[in-house]
Amino acid sequence: MKVSKLARREAKMLLTLCMVDGLIDAPRARLVTGRLIETKPRQYVAILTHFCRLLRLETEKHTVLVQTAVPLSDTLRAGLEENLGLRYGKGLEYQFTQNPALLGGMRVQVGSDVYDGSIRARLNALEERFN
Amino acid sequence: MSTLLQDIEAQIAGVKTNVNRQNVGVVREIGDGVAKIEGLNDVMANEMIDFGRGVTGLALNLEETEVGAIILGDYTHIKEGQEVRTTGKLLQVPVGKGLLGRVVDVLGNPLDGKGPIVSTTAYPVEKIAPGIIKRRSVSQPVQTGIMPIDAMIPIGRGQRELIIGDRSTGKTTICIDTIINQARMNKAAEASKEKDFRPLYSIYVAIGQKQSNIARVISVLEENGAMPYTIIVVASASDSATNQYLAPFSGCAIGEWFMDNGMDALIIFDDLSKHAAAYRQVSLILKRPSGREAYPGDVFYLHSRLLERSARLNEKSGDGSLTALPVIETQLGDVSAYIPTNVISITDGQIFLETDLFYQGIRPAISVGISVSRVGSAAQIKAMKQVAGRVKLELAQFRELAAFAQFGSDLDAGTAAKIERGKRIVEIFKQAQYNPIAVEIQVAVIWCSQNGYFDDVPVEKVKDFQNKLTEYLTGRKPELLARIAKEKALNDGLSADLKAAIVEFKQGYSTKA
Repeated sequence: MKVSKLARREAKMLLTLCMVDGLIDAPRARLVTGRLIETKPRQYVAILTHFCRLLRLETEKHTVLVQTAVPLSDTLRAGLEENLGLRYGKGLEYQFTQNPALLGGMRVQVGSDVYDGSIRARLNALEERFN
Repeated sequence: MSTLLQDIEAQIAGVKTNVNRQNVGVVREIGDGVAKIEGLNDVMANEMIDFGRGVTGLALNLEETEVGAIILGDYTHIKEGQEVRTTGKLLQVPVGKGLLGRVVDVLGNPLDGKGPIVSTTAYPVEKIAPGIIKRRSVSQPVQTGIMPIDAMIPIGRGQRELIIGDRSTGKTTICIDTIINQARMNKAAEASKEKDFRPLYSIYVAIGQKQSNIARVISVLEENGAMPYTIIVVASASDSATNQYLAPFSGCAIGEWFMDNGMDALIIFDDLSKHAAAYRQVSLILKRPSGREAYPGDVFYLHSRLLERSARLNEKSGDGSLTALPVIETQLGDVSAYIPTNVISITDGQIFLETDLFYQGIRPAISVGISVSRVGSAAQIKAMKQVAGRVKLELAQFRELAAFAQFGSDLDAGTAAKIERGKRIVEIFKQAQYNPIAVEIQVAVIWCSQNGYFDDVPVEKVKDFQNKLTEYLTGRKPELLARIAKEKALNDGLSADLKAAIVEFKQGYSTKA
């Protein structure tokens, strides 16, 4: 769907309204969406589409995706959350998943930052070096 | 075996075991060699992006929610949702003398099948041009070996001289002749172990040209022994618009290495019309706003930042130079089109080639009236200045009077003499392609013309007279030519010797004729 410049600007303004202390406030976001659907302003579908995209990108910035080959112990999880909290600030949402393809080690993604300490990543680096 | 083990150990040691932060993104859209990527929050403008499988992209558009990147290479295997990462490096090309004699692509990869390029240094493709503090005025000549150019539109080292004209008017030929002449001069200086001689290395950047044309250029340079002093950067018509857009910048980076290391280089951009069209294509795919003739608003900046990188550096900065000969193809001689006017205003002069002159047999088909060199005269050798100072004026007067003479039959003696002299100058300036003339011969021939030694030669015999005079001087009076080349100025003694030699030749010529 083609989103006009005006719709993008409106969506950006709505996103700013939904932010509290640099983080997305979920009730506000829901309220804004509801009001938009209710009042149906001009280009409201395009505004909503772009608003949804901005919301997703903003949420991703504060989402921590932790992948490990084996389940992490509670101590390790707590240590990880503490360290990442110090580096990226409060308001991070953690998603712990298992990925046997990693073989070992850990892959942490925060927004577009990736810390890949998995065996798979090291093997890939070695493979690239030999090619 | 031990070497193999050492190699493998070195490669394993090179794989760092500590975990580094990487900046990644996800391909949201891919097509026409352009990818839209979400993420990559820390990407820099013009940074290389790793798409995996050895494919690299270049971040051009940094937008609020996404990054627009052009792909350098095969993009057909890139899929939506694929993860890409930044490299922290700007686009670079290998530079150095190891590239001389080679044909390379935009990224400096060899295309000539002569094995890998030997180079330890790399230069960023985009670089800020040298500032005013590092520069000095143009003072040394680039001898093109083309008589009308060296005499009337001289080019200096560090100058930007535009070669402009319609299709098939001899633009590329002028460039190739110049490269061949540099190679000949370099070889001659190497053979004579001349100490003060500064070799001029050439870089030919082919943008959007047919591969057959590029192959022809390479074979001509090889036949004339110019390849050892030449680097050819190829982005042919079959290459992507991205490669065509980057080619002149890569070539410029290669040339800058020579300049930065105190050497002289000549770069030919053949041609910038196709470069502008390639940039327009890239910009439109990146959805940048279009302006006049659908070119993006920064098409002027595209060419100005490229050509500003040609400079003559001062002695503190190494005394190197990079001379640029950009080529522009006009449509039906229209120099007032968008891209031609842009490049005319950026360069330090232009050599305008006319279709009419070309088909009249005047080749190189240089239109003297509108061809200028704004800084080159300071670089002309004194001998050439002495003999060619009035040639341009005489030729311009001839063109004007010749037009008038068409209407009336009776002409006064002065006008008739000017027309006759002009006809002979036109003949003298005709020159076969791939046959550059040494500057000392040019000086001798123009001196002859200016002192009336051609006046009694019939117009149709002028070329024959000139060729035989050249043969006579090179065969029988090489020491005279050597003196002109060495002293670079015509003093009374040298003029007298030249006069004596020509009188002697004329006696022999008139008896033969």
